[in-house]
Amino acid sequence: MRKTKHLFTHLALVIVVSVVAAPVIMAILFSTQTPAQIYSYPPKFTFGTAMLENYASAWNQFHLGKYMLNSFIIAVAVTTGKTILAFTSALALVYFRFPLRSWVFIFILLTLMMPTEIMIVSLFEIVTGLGWGDSYAALIVPFLASATGTFLFRQHFLQIPSSLLDAARIDGAGPIRFAWSILLPMSSNVIAALTVIQFVYMWNQYLWPLIVIHDSSMQVVQVGLRMVFGGQDATNWGIVMAGAIITLMPALVTFMLLQEQFSRGFALSQEK
Amino acid sequence: MQPVFKRHGTAFLLLLPTLVILIFFLYLPTIQTFIMSLYQVGFLGLSKMFVGVENYQIIFTEPEYRDIMVNTLVFVLGSVSLSMALGLAFAVLANEKVTGARYYRLLLIWPYALPPAVAGVIFLFLFSAQVGIINYFLGLIFGITPDWLADPELAMTVVILSTVWKNVGYNVVFYLAALQNLPGDVLEAATIDGATGWQRFWRITFPLLSPMTFFLLIMNTIAAFFDVFAFIDLITKGGPSNGTTVFIYAIYRDGFEYFKSGLAAAQSVFLFLLVVVLTVLKFRLQKKVHYAN
Amino acid sequence: MKRFVVALFAVLIMATPALAEKTKVSFWHAMGGDRITLIKEMCDDFNKAHPDIEVTPEYKGSYRDTLNASILAFKQGKAPNIVHIFEVGSQLAVDAGIFMPFEDTIKPGDDAKLDDFVDGVANYYRIGGKFYSVPFNSSNPVLYYNKTLFKKAGLDPENPPKTFNEVIAASEKLKASGAAPYGITWPLHCWFVEQWMGNQGALLANNENGRAARATDILLDSEPMLKIMTWWKKMYDDKLFVYSGKVEDWDGANNLFISGQAAMLITSTSDITFMQKAAEENHFELGTGFLPVADGSENFGTIVGGASLWMTKGHSDKANDATKDFLLWFTNTANEVRWHKGTGYFPVRKSAVTELEKENWFEKNPAYAAAFKQLMATKPVRSTQGAMLGMFPELRNIVTDAVQSILNGADIKATMKDADARADKALERYNRSVK
Repeated sequence: MRKTKHLFTHLALVIVVSVVAAPVIMAILFSTQTPAQIYSYPPKFTFGTAMLENYASAWNQFHLGKYMLNSFIIAVAVTTGKTILAFTSALALVYFRFPLRSWVFIFILLTLMMPTEIMIVSLFEIVTGLGWGDSYAALIVPFLASATGTFLFRQHFLQIPSSLLDAARIDGAGPIRFAWSILLPMSSNVIAALTVIQFVYMWNQYLWPLIVIHDSSMQVVQVGLRMVFGGQDATNWGIVMAGAIITLMPALVTFMLLQEQFSRGFALSQEK
Repeated sequence: MQPVFKRHGTAFLLLLPTLVILIFFLYLPTIQTFIMSLYQVGFLGLSKMFVGVENYQIIFTEPEYRDIMVNTLVFVLGSVSLSMALGLAFAVLANEKVTGARYYRLLLIWPYALPPAVAGVIFLFLFSAQVGIINYFLGLIFGITPDWLADPELAMTVVILSTVWKNVGYNVVFYLAALQNLPGDVLEAATIDGATGWQRFWRITFPLLSPMTFFLLIMNTIAAFFDVFAFIDLITKGGPSNGTTVFIYAIYRDGFEYFKSGLAAAQSVFLFLLVVVLTVLKFRLQKKVHYAN
Repeated sequence: MKRFVVALFAVLIMATPALAEKTKVSFWHAMGGDRITLIKEMCDDFNKAHPDIEVTPEYKGSYRDTLNASILAFKQGKAPNIVHIFEVGSQLAVDAGIFMPFEDTIKPGDDAKLDDFVDGVANYYRIGGKFYSVPFNSSNPVLYYNKTLFKKAGLDPENPPKTFNEVIAASEKLKASGAAPYGITWPLHCWFVEQWMGNQGALLANNENGRAARATDILLDSEPMLKIMTWWKKMYDDKLFVYSGKVEDWDGANNLFISGQAAMLITSTSDITFMQKAAEENHFELGTGFLPVADGSENFGTIVGGASLWMTKGHSDKANDATKDFLLWFTNTANEVRWHKGTGYFPVRKSAVTELEKENWFEKNPAYAAAFKQLMATKPVRSTQGAMLGMFPELRNIVTDAVQSILNGADIKATMKDADARADKALERYNRSVK
């Protein structure tokens, strides 16, 4: 009886998993086909013959390689910067006493309700006013501060048993050494989780780069995908799918390898 | 008692970068958006005319914006309910104690990590009337080949399906965690009492999951307002006949294609207030959850 | 020692031209595909002939993308010298106030030959009697048709349909004979609607299409408009007309025609070179004809489409001079001939036409002739001059929305009345912002 139930469950799971994976599997299959093969009826569910050409086209002709570099640079920059700023802010909020401390915390926390999307028009004005249009600065600086990160580090710090920290204090450690030699090693999990989430988030950005970057050499990969549709000739779906596969790889690989950290960071960031 | 440093200067320096960025790139634009919504701003910002609440009047009374509201509502309701229902179903499945459960879990969740643009492009291809696989199968099995992108309702369906596909993993993660935290004794007692799996689920499990359900409801809704932009921009461009234009797309179009910044700002304010209400709700509910536990 | 000094001096003198600063002119355009290379080659030729000027062309994407990129650049004080703006963006460009009227930059002694511009083109781009921008790539819509399929269907391959009803008749024959699954296709774009209004002699807006004075009323529910929509809908319902489902899908329409799914295609003449190649590769004979006109109406011709080149303000006099010199060179007779042969956009200068005729170009390449003949046959009235409206991008969306609603079954009269109200409101708001 239990065996049948298990079998049924397995079957259901396999079906569901296949349905979920189907779109990407289709994308992979078609990314290797020539236009003639793609347009053939009935469609060919086998690997085609144009894999190298399609992927090479997507990479070179449509500059996905360059766009990926841009995405990578800003993702790394934001992830690093955001983590540092969140860490230092939480450090100040937890381990220092100063007037208006709780107000500062609320000030930071309120920004949780301000996603970039609700202010794109005036953010565009501000950023172009600074002359940052078409630059990495526009894609990096507005995202360096994070209420989520600050909150996470703060919660984490508050949970560290004070006995450990008292010992360090007695040692006579100043705040910087304290942060560096004690807090930092103890926060590696949070840092890993935050890093993964932030990297994927920046990698996947679409609306903001669409608005603020018009110089194609500075464009990010998600918007770059959109450009694969351009031109006089018919859309070559093989190349478009190749582009899609190339573009999703880093995000997917990050997720698969760092799945633990991803889930943790995810869970942490949602339970604010 | 946390060890406490009293050097205000250092604290200030540590907080300064964060505060500067939050002020200039979050608070300032938000305030400016509110102000801008009261003006009609001309092309390139070369002219500015105070119009009071006229922009708000437009978005709440004009037929095109009524349509946009309806579209947004339809999209949010459709994608959120489907995404959560499927998320719950998959989580229940993946919660079964079968071998390889960990791998199944992974294979259910991963589309969430996909960039929306990629998901959008793939679905655009799959639902294409000329080369789409979907129509091939539909034609084969049911003999119908709907013109997905030419009909407003079908196009909305495509947008909803692609959103659900990408986001269901999010709900699976959370429902799984909640399922695994359920008190086992209540369910055992019910089994002993002779309740069927179906009854156990609806009478016990589901009610016990309600805090998580409310939480996910709010998170999914907030995401549904914003994350769908890439899908619409790539698959339907708001069409056909404005049938898939939702607020976030209208904001982009009014602001950057029609150059009507004031109107875009008013819509942004509207969305912002929605987000605030939902976030406050979320905090209230979370407090309740913590006390309940 | 003396010899050394002399040698050093000589080297310095030779190096000076290289050290002399070139006046830089940046040129942002929206011509993609093969045209990117063609434009680059033309600019390289100019740079070689004028060593003190360096023109750098950059392809910025679609017209919309190019406009947005220019706006971004302008906001940061880094606007390019030349911006390529689509024809219906002309009013917006004038209102923006950031462009210099081209005619104002011409000095006596410049061989501008402004009267040399072909009438239809000059008509469009002269605003208030002055050239604000330089006409560059002009096109009009033509009917492409598959002569091979026509023969199969028993239609006269030298006699393409000229009116709406003739299109219906031809399409029915094509379908009935099995030559093609559909009769005709064209992209779902407001441009075609504008053209069909123009060629019926109908105005799109009041105040003489916004040319005599700023327009205050858009005319979307007039009789001529209803004629267009009724015909379109009938052909869609009878499955004589097919489209890819996507709005503004130029590629999709091309594909439907090239793959033989539709035997006729209406699209821009700027694709003629591409179309000829495609016809060869796919083994069919290509024919071209005029844009079909509504029955019962005189054929007034077509509105010039395409785009023009605008000069931005805020640059040094030297830069402006260099820009003007480049623009005059770029659109001179020889280059117009070159551009036409390389793309299919028709030559905007009368002298270029004369040259092409001298070498019997149009006889040897009849496909290129159709658009041109159509331009020559166009009567210079307000309707074919085209409308000047500041909110054209929005208007185009309003119209395509209406078309899609109609194709999906909505009542034509009611939909166009609605669209008209929407357009009028949008126009009113726009006009308010530029008072």
